[in-house]
Amino acid sequence: MNLDRRSFLKTIPAAGLLAGCGKASKIRLALNWKPDPEFGGFYAADFSKHGLDVEILPGGAGTPTVQMIGAGSAEFGIVAADDALVARAQKNDIVALFAVFQTNPMGIMAHASRKLKSIEDVLKGGTLAMQSGLPYARILRKKFAFDRVKVVPSTGGDLTSFLKDENFAQQCFVMDEPLHAKRQGVEVTVFPVSDMGYNPYTTMLAVNGETLRKNPDLAKNMVDAVREGWRTYLDNPASANARMHALNPTVELESFAESAVAQRSLIEANPLGKMTRERWETLAAQLKELGDIPQVPPVEQAFRDL
Amino acid sequence: MRKTVSAAIPFVVVTLLVEGLVRAGWIQAFLVPPPSAVFQTILRDWPELSEAFAKTSAGAILGFLLSSLAGVAIAVFLSSSRRVQDAFYPYAVFFQTVPIIAIAPLLVIWFGYGLRTVVASAFIASIFPVIANTLDGILSTDPALRDLFRLYRASPAATLWKLRFPAALPQILTGLRIAGGLAVIGAIVGEFLGGQGLGSVIDIARTQQRTDKVFAAVLLASVLGLALFGLINIVSRLVLRSWHVSEQS
Amino acid sequence: MTEASIAADRSVALRLSGIRRAFTDLVVIDDLTLDVAAGEFLAILGPSGCGKSTLLRVIAGLISIDSGTLDAEPSGAKLQTAFVFQDANLLPWLTVLENAALPLELTGVGGAERLAIASRVLAEVGLSDAESRYPAQLSGGMRMRVSLARALVTEPRLLLLDEPFAALDEITRFRLEVRLRDLWIERGMTVIFVTHSITEAAFLANRAVVLTRRGCHIRLDRRLALPQVRDNQVRLSAPFADEMKLLLGAMEEED
Repeated sequence: MNLDRRSFLKTIPAAGLLAGCGKASKIRLALNWKPDPEFGGFYAADFSKHGLDVEILPGGAGTPTVQMIGAGSAEFGIVAADDALVARAQKNDIVALFAVFQTNPMGIMAHASRKLKSIEDVLKGGTLAMQSGLPYARILRKKFAFDRVKVVPSTGGDLTSFLKDENFAQQCFVMDEPLHAKRQGVEVTVFPVSDMGYNPYTTMLAVNGETLRKNPDLAKNMVDAVREGWRTYLDNPASANARMHALNPTVELESFAESAVAQRSLIEANPLGKMTRERWETLAAQLKELGDIPQVPPVEQAFRDL
Repeated sequence: MRKTVSAAIPFVVVTLLVEGLVRAGWIQAFLVPPPSAVFQTILRDWPELSEAFAKTSAGAILGFLLSSLAGVAIAVFLSSSRRVQDAFYPYAVFFQTVPIIAIAPLLVIWFGYGLRTVVASAFIASIFPVIANTLDGILSTDPALRDLFRLYRASPAATLWKLRFPAALPQILTGLRIAGGLAVIGAIVGEFLGGQGLGSVIDIARTQQRTDKVFAAVLLASVLGLALFGLINIVSRLVLRSWHVSEQS
Repeated sequence: MTEASIAADRSVALRLSGIRRAFTDLVVIDDLTLDVAAGEFLAILGPSGCGKSTLLRVIAGLISIDSGTLDAEPSGAKLQTAFVFQDANLLPWLTVLENAALPLELTGVGGAERLAIASRVLAEVGLSDAESRYPAQLSGGMRMRVSLARALVTEPRLLLLDEPFAALDEITRFRLEVRLRDLWIERGMTVIFVTHSITEAAFLANRAVVLTRRGCHIRLDRRLALPQVRDNQVRLSAPFADEMKLLLGAMEEED
């Protein structure tokens, strides 16, 4: 065991895991939002079958899963690929193991009544609520003129302003807010961010690099359990939905069912959760161009195919 | 001058300590950025940060002025009778406990995006201590002094403005001191919703994992809070100088 | 000049009949009847907690009575009354001059006029040099003088004092007692002075009433056989010692 000061703090969580090696020790999986269908496979997984005692920690607005994994307050966490690369550039050694969304589920939604044809149209007027700090937003700013649209902060999923104002457009997850809006009587047009060429893996299972090196079996068991869980969820989401709904009762159960169906096409892959070097390299190049990372790193260190 | 130096010493010591710990690897830089990086960011992004600082200052100061005036007025109203207090004071507590994030969509609908929401947020966050301290001060008047006023058949209005209110000034100023810092916090939360100023800088930098910029903005927010606090202290000195024990050396 | 030959107005300034006041189940004043002559200096003596302060506040109209009547001359109208509290009770944010002028401000007298009146009265209590100072800058004795001046600015016909000198040192107390007696003679007001100090009562008053420990019953009601004009030498005289003996005897009696 390497005990220089640099890695001292990082060995503490890993040492804890080593102590429980071989037996089912408590593993924490930190989500980056409240329980809903985007995490369905994790709630459907049978961890104990793979010798794991996993505690899923629901998140919310701004849960810093990247830092939690780095600091050891959770062994595994859910992160997006762009966040992972930025973290690694800051010497936070997190490694992606499984990518739930093969297609980025983020999008911009607008009232269908506006009859808009593209994202560029959205930017021609009205108001747009988005998280301006996210890479896709900054790519949009580089590509298109923003002088006629009023940009305001993201509403965090809340639809109040959207429903009230026909010219209000907002960032969304394609399997989530659009369905809610429709249920409230507003038809929407959705422009997926992936269509404009920005398509990072999303909702990835990530682990601390040190933990991975010390305990590759743990990581492999985790990925196996998660892969099975997602297969189960894609085929039959009902029981996991019920479990998640108990934890997140503000959204109706039928919404969960609808979202589970809507997101399938973004998730299906063979095998589930797979990642390719190409996609990571494309993403790295995009982030370097934005200035989010200083240079393109060796991406094979950023993810592992287990 | 000596007071400023004394106050600055802990800050300098902690800054050097943190810098050392981060450089040596004892604290991970992605959790706590080295102070040198924070200062560099302040210098490099000064145009953006100074404009944000100006915007947040406007929101916080306006919100604070409004909550000071309204808070004192509401407290004076509440002091008029026991029944009025019993009926309305509990609603004042609402201002203290409502989490602004929870009413965010409503604020944006009523006040729109921009300065008005920021001022509203700063107002809501800072008004309660003004009400509570002012009311407490007005109601705590020395009973003997109140007897004196009764003896000369002073009207309730005269008793309020010539006795109870001036007697409450030290307490009112305490309430203002607390409210100042809360107004800054409220303004920043309002900016998460309304999209400008230091709050917006923090929100955006956070999504970019730019902890150095987040800390830079937080540092500037603290400076704003300190400035407000200092301003109130100056006012307190001027108003209480001749007669209150807290300002005698 | 002795008491007996003073051309004092024998008319009654204040008549208390069957006054009763209770606080929850404690009867503080139990059926008190007392006449106070105009121009009299009455000392009310009693042990701590016997209700004398309550009685004074009843006379001032600060506390209501449960039963009985309180009549002031001219009959029906309330006497112009002033009160000096145990604590000087000055408003800390006003100057000495403004504090003294306060009663005039509260009764609607204009700015320049009330300050002029206050200034004159402050001179009477020896505080001309302190007019622009704040209470925080004054000694206890000086604060009490301001309180006294404040009480006199409205030219009260009835002056009530509730152990005003109790917190002061002895020499200051002696000085203020002399001053108070002089002011009484100069202005011819009726004074009721509550105290637990026999020496003080004997020096200041021309009539002393000693109350019982409970219920404000009158144990002794005595016209003091002492000269009208008194200085500190009086305290050492034989008649003074005689009066002290009588008052002490009454105070020491068991209920």
